[in-house]
Amino acid sequence: MNHQNDDDKIRQLLKQNIRPVNQELERDLWPHMLRRLEERPAAVPWFDWALAAVVVLSIILVPSTIPMLLYHL
Amino acid sequence: MNTHPYLRAYMAGIVVPTLVLLLILSAFCLVRFVFHVPVPIERVIIFPMALVPSLFGLWNMFYLWLRPRRHLPIGIHGALLPLLLAPCGLALASALGFLTLGSSGIVCFDQQVIPYQYVALGFTVGLIAYYLIWKYLVGFFNQVLGIA
Repeated sequence: MNHQNDDDKIRQLLKQNIRPVNQELERDLWPHMLRRLEERPAAVPWFDWALAAVVVLSIILVPSTIPMLLYHL
Repeated sequence: MNTHPYLRAYMAGIVVPTLVLLLILSAFCLVRFVFHVPVPIERVIIFPMALVPSLFGLWNMFYLWLRPRRHLPIGIHGALLPLLLAPCGLALASALGFLTLGSSGIVCFDQQVIPYQYVALGFTVGLIAYYLIWKYLVGFFNQVLGIA
């Protein structure tokens, strides 16, 4: 009997002190995602531009690389 | 709550090859049905259609798994993928009979010879293209899906 009372008391204390779990989202997360995307630095380093130029030049100068590239994409 | 990060990594990984596949299929339809090119292009399309998108997704899942253990920048990680893809593509192309290894180069459809130096150049260009694609495109989709 005493044990049952203790359980009830613990249950009551837990209900008082722990917030109920809310399964649904409380707010729209998409604006937060948009802000995060806008925070992303847009600068592309010169090295990557140079690599992109190498790819474009190779495709122009040696067109037989195009099927090989497309085959692996 | 399980947010299924590996499923999102797979989805982010397959976006780029799936979009490129549309271009390839369009080119395929033009070549085969408009220009009536008499080569079995259907056999070529199997690799980019069936295997490449799945491998992109799995490679991105591997990137997510690897990140807390041994972090590689995503561009470098992506540039390693052709080392796996190229032998698979070559083996499948040989098995399907539209590509053979000749003395001076790779022979496609028993007609066109691509010299080995061009193959090496194409592989190098592929590595660079994969580095850029993974750094900027797959990285972007990873960020959109919240796993970057």
